[in-house]
Amino acid sequence: MATPADKRNIVMPTAALVVIAVVLTVGLVIFANVTRDRIAHNQQAWIKQHLDALVPPESYDNDPLTDTTEVTAPDLLGAAPVVAYRLRKDGLPVAVAIRSVAPDGYRGPLELLVAIAPGGQLIGVQVIRHNETPGLGDAFENRDAGWLDRFRGLSLTQPPQQRWTVRRDGGDFDAFTGATITPRAIVKAVRRTLEFYQGNEDRLYQDGKPR
Amino acid sequence: MSTRPPNDSIVTPGATGTPSSNISSETPGATGTPSSNDSIVTPGATGKAPSSSVRDRAFSSTLQLLALCPLLAVSDTVVKALAFSVLVLAIFPLATLLLNTIRRWLDDAIVLPASLLVTAGLVTAAELFMRAWFHDLGASFGVFLPLLAVNIVVIDQIQTPAADRGMALIRSLRIALGIALTLMALGFARELVGRGSLLSGAGALLGHWADRLEVKVFSVDMGFLLAMLPPGAFISLGLLIAARNWTAARHSTKS
Repeated sequence: MATPADKRNIVMPTAALVVIAVVLTVGLVIFANVTRDRIAHNQQAWIKQHLDALVPPESYDNDPLTDTTEVTAPDLLGAAPVVAYRLRKDGLPVAVAIRSVAPDGYRGPLELLVAIAPGGQLIGVQVIRHNETPGLGDAFENRDAGWLDRFRGLSLTQPPQQRWTVRRDGGDFDAFTGATITPRAIVKAVRRTLEFYQGNEDRLYQDGKPR
Repeated sequence: MSTRPPNDSIVTPGATGTPSSNISSETPGATGTPSSNDSIVTPGATGKAPSSSVRDRAFSSTLQLLALCPLLAVSDTVVKALAFSVLVLAIFPLATLLLNTIRRWLDDAIVLPASLLVTAGLVTAAELFMRAWFHDLGASFGVFLPLLAVNIVVIDQIQTPAADRGMALIRSLRIALGIALTLMALGFARELVGRGSLLSGAGALLGHWADRLEVKVFSVDMGFLLAMLPPGAFISLGLLIAARNWTAARHSTKS
């Protein structure tokens, strides 16, 4: 029953939409290409900044941002693959920085950078991205700025594994005033990262040829 | 927005000085010169039933207020508010020009999807721009920069079509300026009350030299937390609207 006029009423608007979509797509692809290198560079600089806060740059001589490996451990590190940056000096392992995720933050996951020395001792922990409540859950950034330093030198035996939680749960770690969920999530994620490291130390350093 | 009755008057600072047909409104009870163009009568406050055009305008100011809401999330510091204001001032008029052209050329039936496509494309480009040149600041906007596309389309849809392109451009500039000033006022108030500082994180916008611009007005341990949280944005906006209505009422009783 479609008359030619009806057909035109469907075809023309559709064609117009398609044309708009194509023009926009082409424009965005071009712009994405222009900005791609800068964005990648920014992301690397952002990781590097956190890495430098954990490990002094003069203690290694490779480029950890390219010397990476991806690991997957659904039970310890979550379903998504996790990036690990390897730090070496003269080819010998100095540290591994694992970009693990604390999935159970108060307002969504927290992304961490956990640096571990050979042998399983913690070098330090940085929170690289989070969405915690300003003023409460983000205390590690300002009010309790030293809180993350507490992790330095710890391992799965120091404190013992069952005390790797906040004080309220019978552990060794202080919570923030007014926020328990965030520190609990961070401590748990760090512990799991250490547990993963313990079983995979060799693999972490060897997987994928260093470039 | 449960805090506000649906057809109270709305403040958009761009409209404070010069009444523009679409965003300004009169305080109920104000007995100034009620030109039919810029007064919104609260139903019930007057004897006669509001005409449909008055209701439409009230509806459209409510919608504009709603369109402002997602933007409130980026107003917790001056720097974030400033950066977002610049983006709004750049994207909004550009989008209006494009949408105006679309409306001219295209079938009514596809204006809405086409508008969404165009504005989505624009904010995507803006997001890429932020990630390339203002990485940290862009990351702090989160989902609210993409959401700007929705706001633009909503505001565009509820307006009566402008007579010509120049008019549309001027009007969109005025609305964008209103949004920008609102954001700046909120950012100023919330950062001052919530953190006791001003311009914190200016380095993310202007480069590292600007980190010195931060002004610590008073030192607080936690700040007034509520101001930093989303409810603080709504409370600040409510106060801003109240202040605007109050001055409007004073002006009209004086004259």
